[in-house]
Amino acid sequence: MKPAPILLSTAFLHPAGQALPEPLLALRKQRGAALVDMPMPTRKTENWKYSSKYLKLTDEMAISLPTEGKTGSALAVPGYKVVFINGVVVPEASEYPDLDNILIQRFGDLSDAEASELAERLDSTLDAKAVQFAGLNSARFEDGLIIRLKPGAVLDQPLFIIHEVTADASGSAFPRIFVDAGPNSQITLVEEYISSGQESVFVNSVTEFVLAEGANVTNIRLSMDGDTVQHIGATGVTQQRSSRFESHCVGFGGPLRRHDLRVRLEGKGAECKLNGVVVTQGTQHYDNHTTIEHVSPNCNSEETYRNIATDKSHVVFNGRIHIHPDAQKSYANMHNKNLLLSTGAEIDTKPELEIYADDVKCAHGATIGQLDEESLFYLISRGIGRREANVLLTLAFINELVAQIPVDAVKDTVQIRLNQFFDQVFLEG
Amino acid sequence: MLSIKNLHASVEDKEILKGINLDIKAGEVHAIMGPNGSGKSTLAQVLAGNDAFEVTSGSVTMNDEDLLEKATEERARDGVFLAFQYPVEIPGVSNLQFMRTSVNALRHHRGESEMNAAEFMKLAREVSKQVDLDPAFLKRGVNEGFSGGEKKRNEIMQALMLQPKLAILDETDSGLDIDALKVVSDGVNALRAEDRAILMVTHYQRLLDHIVPDFVHVLAEGKIVKSGGPELALELEERGYAWLGIKEDETAASSAN
Ligand SMILES: Nc1ncnc2c1ncn2[C@@H]1O[C@H](COP(=O)(O)OP(=O)(O)OP(=O)(O)O)[C@@H](O)[C@H]1O
Ligand SMILES: [Mg+2]
Repeated sequence: MKPAPILLSTAFLHPAGQALPEPLLALRKQRGAALVDMPMPTRKTENWKYSSKYLKLTDEMAISLPTEGKTGSALAVPGYKVVFINGVVVPEASEYPDLDNILIQRFGDLSDAEASELAERLDSTLDAKAVQFAGLNSARFEDGLIIRLKPGAVLDQPLFIIHEVTADASGSAFPRIFVDAGPNSQITLVEEYISSGQESVFVNSVTEFVLAEGANVTNIRLSMDGDTVQHIGATGVTQQRSSRFESHCVGFGGPLRRHDLRVRLEGKGAECKLNGVVVTQGTQHYDNHTTIEHVSPNCNSEETYRNIATDKSHVVFNGRIHIHPDAQKSYANMHNKNLLLSTGAEIDTKPELEIYADDVKCAHGATIGQLDEESLFYLISRGIGRREANVLLTLAFINELVAQIPVDAVKDTVQIRLNQFFDQVFLEG
Repeated sequence: MLSIKNLHASVEDKEILKGINLDIKAGEVHAIMGPNGSGKSTLAQVLAGNDAFEVTSGSVTMNDEDLLEKATEERARDGVFLAFQYPVEIPGVSNLQFMRTSVNALRHHRGESEMNAAEFMKLAREVSKQVDLDPAFLKRGVNEGFSGGEKKRNEIMQALMLQPKLAILDETDSGLDIDALKVVSDGVNALRAEDRAILMVTHYQRLLDHIVPDFVHVLAEGKIVKSGGPELALELEERGYAWLGIKEDETAASSAN
């Protein structure tokens, strides 16, 4: 007889009573009910095989983190800004664009009619079976942001969303964003996940992008939560005809880091470009699961992920490309390169291709390697110190991807974090 | 300047250098010739400090200091420069960043201030002109996608930027067309100086028409079997190595048994 599976603790199924319009409260309730017998992932759960052991949720972590009186770290950003603290928007700390054709609203500020329309569309970009924890966010979100771009609307500067959690006590946060990019609209959305405090907390975030015909969306996701934060996040994207989605995910490790990125190319000629960089050290973990569905013909996808792991850290990359029978003339390119800086580190990479159309161009490749001894010797033979040579070569591994991040301020933030990493990993001498 | 005594070195337990003796004074140019696989590059790499090769006995001193004691980067900072036979491609590190880091590492070692980006750029442009490399090459990854000849010119460019005390040039003339050979030899001649020693490995007399060495040595089976003046190179060109009782290709010979 099979032992009964361990279920998600019911402690997690009690949302806090934030003021939300009735249709969203109803949605939350309904999603919560669907999770009553949700099994916790184990080694046997295919999409959690390498990562289930890092997921350690306790009942103390089920309570929503308090939001009263929290103002956050007041990060200066070169653009518009919305600050979430513990999953709830802090309007005083935010600087919204003042444009007629771009509406940015908190879920709590929606009319019942708007909320009911949103409730219909939430989760539409994510497959609840494949991304179990997105459902938990839908059962628990206390606030959220909906960004609506009317046809042809162009946001002139990047919009930064700062997601901060205050880990002063155990608890959890459920940030939620829904972006409705109308026909031919354009936006660059930066999401930064950060934390303060030293208690064990759980962040469960979901961001959705619905791209209408010709929309052009760039999403930068910086995952920089602290060492006591377990984070399970999902990004769902659906794309209509000739739309373009570009994603830059840069992640630093933690006790548990999981990001599911799912893109559905639903309209002819849609294209996406997904770049990812992961850096882990100590006993950190990071798991990226990406899925690109080529549903319609003539769509392009280009995916490049690079991972660096040192010490005893563990990185997982699973990249799936699914080409549906109608998706003729699909072009899909997926590359994953991995750099192990120490023998104790582990990287598991798995490209998965499912191709059901015959006229497609598909390429994929994955490599795992170490720093090249010959290159190292070449550099130090010119008088460059070993530490600096190591740094140059490690940077060289991800330079190309960092350079492509289209917002300089984010590039600088990444560079500062990388320098901290190098200071800790490559010792002087 | 450089004194090599009874140097033995091996790689993966196979002895390659079997007792090298060589003295080079400041201001001199020495050429080393010899069949493929005789150990010329091994000697060059050992001098530069490649620890893929193990020195099993013997000594090397430079200006009376034990060279073998020093780490690779310290040797470079003390003036050892190796132009690689096969320069390494390093995508992701720009040539400019690479050279600036190395020039500044040497300046730092000498107690000089670092060169700022503008000063460095000015120098780099001048030197790249001297070796006939388009300054656009500075922006590319180190040797990334460079042709064989461009890589060799890039090595000479680095030598000119770093102004070493001992320049070891491993087949910097190989694979060059006639014009490039002229550019590279002009570069090497520009390096010739009272206080600098040059050790160049070559297979061809034609280089020695441009850069007349003070001494020519023949390396065979890990030993210097003959030394002489520039006339020795001419004689080798005419009569081949068989004249010295050496097999033409040691790699071929050793793989046959
Ligand atoms: N890393 C290595 N591992 C194993 N064998 C090596 C290694 N490096 C050199 N050797 C061997 O050592 C011997 C000497 O090689 P070396 O490169 O010094 O010759 P060379 O005189 O420079 O030849 P060439 O004229 O072809 O450049 C060769 O037999 C070579 O195969
Ligand atoms: Mg050689």
